[in-house]
Amino acid sequence: MDATILLVEDDRSIREITKLGLQDAGFRVETAADGEEALTRFRHDQPDLVVLDIMLPKRDGLEVCRAIRAASSVPVVMLTARSDAIDVVVGLESGADDYVTKPFEMPVLVARIRAALRRAQLTDPAETITLGSLRIDVPGHRVTVEDEEVGLTPTEFRLLLELARRPGQVFTRELLLEQVWGYSYLGDSRLVDVAIQRLRAKVEPAPDSPALIETVRGVGYRAGR
Amino acid sequence: MSATGRAADVFGSFRARLIATVITLVAVTAGLVAISSYVLVRNSLRGQLVDDAVARAEFNLTVLASAEQLPQDADRAAFEASRLADRFLLRGTGGIYVEFPDGEPFSSSPRLRGAGDLLSTELRDIVAGSSYGYEFLAVDDEPNLVVAGRRPPAGPDFYFFDSAADVESALDQLARVLAIAGAGIVVLGALGAGLIARRVLRPVAVAGEAAGVMAAGDLSVRLPAETNDELGRLAIAFNQMAASLQQQVDALVEAREREQRFVADVSHELRTPLTALVNEAARLRGRFDELPDTDRRVGEMLVADVGRLSDLVEDLLEVSRLDSSSGAPDLLPVDVARFLEAVIADRHPDATLHIDHAIGSVATDRRSLERVVGNLLDNARTHAPGSPVVVTAAVAGGELQIAVADQGPGVPVEALPRIFDRFYKTDSARQGGSGLGLAIAREHARRAGGELTARLGTPAGLVFELRLPVTESLHSGDVAENRRVHDGGEETSHPRSTP
Repeated sequence: MDATILLVEDDRSIREITKLGLQDAGFRVETAADGEEALTRFRHDQPDLVVLDIMLPKRDGLEVCRAIRAASSVPVVMLTARSDAIDVVVGLESGADDYVTKPFEMPVLVARIRAALRRAQLTDPAETITLGSLRIDVPGHRVTVEDEEVGLTPTEFRLLLELARRPGQVFTRELLLEQVWGYSYLGDSRLVDVAIQRLRAKVEPAPDSPALIETVRGVGYRAGR
Repeated sequence: MSATGRAADVFGSFRARLIATVITLVAVTAGLVAISSYVLVRNSLRGQLVDDAVARAEFNLTVLASAEQLPQDADRAAFEASRLADRFLLRGTGGIYVEFPDGEPFSSSPRLRGAGDLLSTELRDIVAGSSYGYEFLAVDDEPNLVVAGRRPPAGPDFYFFDSAADVESALDQLARVLAIAGAGIVVLGALGAGLIARRVLRPVAVAGEAAGVMAAGDLSVRLPAETNDELGRLAIAFNQMAASLQQQVDALVEAREREQRFVADVSHELRTPLTALVNEAARLRGRFDELPDTDRRVGEMLVADVGRLSDLVEDLLEVSRLDSSSGAPDLLPVDVARFLEAVIADRHPDATLHIDHAIGSVATDRRSLERVVGNLLDNARTHAPGSPVVVTAAVAGGELQIAVADQGPGVPVEALPRIFDRFYKTDSARQGGSGLGLAIAREHARRAGGELTARLGTPAGLVFELRLPVTESLHSGDVAENRRVHDGGEETSHPRSTP
């Protein structure tokens, strides 16, 4: 795998050792030490995935993430120092696909990166799925709502596809974590909840009263029939 | 019974006592006033009547009787002949009854014919002593005043009857009026006492309620200090106490928050160098073969110590997080068997799971549950290395019961109550762990609404038991729990990330 990773981290030691670890894992690695440099490098290097620290000088990681999302659907894995608080949720809401908590170990980060890249690189069989006014062109990774194209990240696309392939069936958060994110049973279910929110904001005609992706209280989610 | 309920009872009985006291006082006072006025008026009215009657009797006996030359020891015939009876009657006497030393007594009307039987012996004795006497008695149900005197030295004895009906009916009426007025005063007194009790006790009741609110934790409650009396001063003192309490609590809370923030900041700042350290150490671990033996030992120690440091900082962060957040449990459905399998695979793959697979899913705070079970497994791995570890789970009586039992060295029985204390380590456990794992586990158990306890196992080791109230979560039949075929027909039977 020779995907290019943009590693944005202000601490030099972490940046260097992480770069070495990612190179060992077979990635090409570009680095940036602050938010401004991150955006410059992002435009210049066209990375396949961004590993983004939240606490950054100049422009913080959340801002960088939103700026990246405005222009691209490239997967973003966030590095966060606090797994508890709003950091994770805010990071996910700003468009990150997944997160890793410091102090992380390299195999964990590599696993999260591979899972995110896999979502983007999956080749799907020729298939078109319709869900209400929603059309999913599976191999083309394109989604249209009333013939208008909607830009989804690979994670959002996989999540939508997972639900839409079996409309009416309830998916637990754990199952979605396994199927979409590649987590074991113990993943953080907030990943699912925030991704569902973002997905609804993009595809639902009225995101506050969702009709396409329904919440099943106490169980999980399902695509409306 | 709640504190306010008790307070209300106390006020209720106090109020009743106050009202009863006031009523008694009013009733006694009114009674005394009524009775003494009655007695005064009666004595005065009767005295007047008696004085008049006695004066008339004296006049009759000394002036009229002697003037008419009624002979001493006169008999009835002599008396009737003297026509004194008519003259007495003319002077206003109501009736006359005369007893003679011998012979029939005289009576001025048929009504008085039997009057001799009515007269008391006391009166007769007085008359026999040649004094004037009187008494009240009823003749044919009509009150009469009898004034008696003897014609000295041996009679006859004269009894002058005067009607006392006017005086007595006036006295009866007075008694009725006084009784009604007294009753009215008692009723008014009762009403007044009720009003006063309410007025006096209302501030006390308000103060009681305020104290209850304060006891329930709201220190912002204050009393209205409207008056300048004892109650007003009570309100002011109460308010000062509340203000000072609030100040102290605020200061304590602030100090605590500062301390927690400091711990959180420190732990947070430690994470950055620690992240570098952990990965540098991991990289070094892969290169041990390239090092000479002495350096290699140092390298191994370095890697192990970095791991310990990392665990310690993780646990410290967890503790500061638990201290600062009071978050409500985040209830999510948890498939108990799959959950425990996953935690065991993650934290202690050698542990055995005994579970009734019929348990299914329960709704609970899964992050807390994961912390509890995970930390217990870590604890077993660290402190009972190589020992078989058995995890059992059951749901009974609305409770999820999970036990983690090892066969390790255990702890001395006297150390058992302290093993959940922060940083508590038994002597044999000095080397391993942060000393926070069990404290964190217990705190998470509480947070999820449950209880974590420890006991010594038989024949050895420690048994940790978690009891967690849960509601069974009903899966609708249509929930996707099965594995499915992923891209290009590759069966992903257990797609676990492998950190």
